Amino acid sequence: MTRSLVSLFLVVIAVAAPASVTVVGPAGSREVYARGDLVDLLDILSMAGLATNFARAAGSYTARAGEHEVQFTPGGSLAVVDGRLSALPGPLRAAEGRVLATVETANAILRPLGWSLRQSGERLELVEVTGVESLLVSQVQAAEGTLVVLRGCRQRPQVTTRADEVVLRFAAPVELAGPVAAEGALLGAALVGQELTLRLAPGLEVANTYQLDDPPRFVVRLAAKGETAPLQGRGEGPLVVLDPGHGGEDWGARGPAGELEKTITLSIARLVLAQLQAQGIAARLTREGDESLSLQDRTAMANRLRANVFVSIHANASPARAARGAETYFMSAEASDVQAAQAAAEENATTPPDTVQLILWDLAHVSNLNESARLARTIQERLNTLHDTRDRGVKQAPFVVLTGATMPAALVEVGFLSNPEEAARLSERPGQETVAAALAEAIATYLRGSSPAGGTAP
Amino acid sequence: MSGPSFRAAAGLLLALIAACRREVAEVPQPTPPPTPVPSRVVLFFPGGDGLLHGESREIAELPDAPVPRIRLLVEELAMGSQRGWAAVYPWSVTVLGAFVDGSGNAYVDLSPPPPGAVQGSAGEAALLYATVSTVVVNCPGIRRVQLLLDGQEVETLGHLDLSRPVAPRPEFVAP
Repeated sequence: MTRSLVSLFLVVIAVAAPASVTVVGPAGSREVYARGDLVDLLDILSMAGLATNFARAAGSYTARAGEHEVQFTPGGSLAVVDGRLSALPGPLRAAEGRVLATVETANAILRPLGWSLRQSGERLELVEVTGVESLLVSQVQAAEGTLVVLRGCRQRPQVTTRADEVVLRFAAPVELAGPVAAEGALLGAALVGQELTLRLAPGLEVANTYQLDDPPRFVVRLAAKGETAPLQGRGEGPLVVLDPGHGGEDWGARGPAGELEKTITLSIARLVLAQLQAQGIAARLTREGDESLSLQDRTAMANRLRANVFVSIHANASPARAARGAETYFMSAEASDVQAAQAAAEENATTPPDTVQLILWDLAHVSNLNESARLARTIQERLNTLHDTRDRGVKQAPFVVLTGATMPAALVEVGFLSNPEEAARLSERPGQETVAAALAEAIATYLRGSSPAGGTAP
Repeated sequence: MSGPSFRAAAGLLLALIAACRREVAEVPQPTPPPTPVPSRVVLFFPGGDGLLHGESREIAELPDAPVPRIRLLVEELAMGSQRGWAAVYPWSVTVLGAFVDGSGNAYVDLSPPPPGAVQGSAGEAALLYATVSTVVVNCPGIRRVQLLLDGQEVETLGHLDLSRPVAPRPEFVAP
């Protein structure tokens, strides 16, 4: 009995005692802290030469490689990969200033950054991901211009424009699946190393670019010069991302005279964009044409751009035909409510781990909730001053498009398309201009009231 | 068989029969089913003010077991309001099933709406929170509800996250 206990004790000691594992990287091998099947992720990132920052306020790390970044929190099972919230295979454990992860979990963070960890006997090998993406370049004519679509593209390239050329610089190697037809908007394309240069037909310029995930593709939208505002960088001031709800095959709500929500939201968003830019506030649209865009991609774009404010613009519909008025939402406390979090934690044995982790993640962003509430109130209060708009108040609900936003975010329903009177008003230019002016003024008012930490005032 | 032996055997038989009769007589009779007492439930329907309005209704036989109880409540909800409130399910919905887990979550499986049947965030919120409120208010022990469509988890109908159970939100219910 005594011998068994001693053996068990020794096994426990052997499993739990800190040890190390040899990791072979591009610059040689190193002993990396390990415990059981967990390795020191921060040390691995350092071996890969990846810049890693720790944000004390958020309690999270950010690792970057070129255009790609992964944000992760010790103790959590979630990461924000290139602006998108994703579940990790397992939790990240914090111990003595280290972040410990299994090889599988470490790879979920390393791979988007172009690296991979693999077992090789007793050692681990840290290698650059050499998978070459095969891109199929095609052109699609859309109402808002020509779309150059790079199918098979999982990475978001760095985009630079020159005279009649656009250069896409990829973080990982790519190849062309076939020749690029020199027709329409493209005079040709050349891939040199990890740079793809698209030569544009005269008179065209890049209106915007965006990435879509299902299937993976990267889109460059071209428009006639002068018909689109130049691409805006972050600049010095705050950045507002406006999201015209729905688009493409997703019409959204439909009014009694055939009014489409996707058209109305785009018109209003464009007007808000113009008014903000006229006030010197940098702003971007998640979609500039009649394009399908997933809800997650909209939020991810705002995250990637490090926007200060995200406003999703919608028009409502209700089975209650009498419904009318405007209402503004911010993210539901469903996943952020402290009581819900505590209850979920107590029920940890029966609650799926993802749910608890999501709650904890949301709690970490509770300061955004307060700012989101202020943004929503500012928008709603301004809309309430419009004489023909009924106040339906500020509410909270679990909107997908607001989930995972890492900045103050709100969704505004500017009126009801199921109400014939409101549908007619929202589909006409004067009505849209009135609403857009109110939204632009509210956003500017919100930014003026922001603390420097939350975004500098214009 | 001799006469005394026959009498003894017959006596034993009679005694056995009598004993059996006593046994039968002592077996408790099954309790007759109680006369159904109508139960009062509160269903929630959307109004033009964006709020859910409670509508009290008597149900002849309300099951105690949570699964048939939830199913019956949602079927009552699908029948619509008797006071003119709007429909929660703006399509010919069928309740395909109901489930509960050990954490106070209920899962309501509905036949899916045709494209475009549920419009706007108000339409989605009415669908979600009317179902959630009705089930939670009338089913002790249930705290959250998740909607399934055709047996499948759905992420969203366009606006709201339907991928996990949600609790009622008091601000959606008329005071």
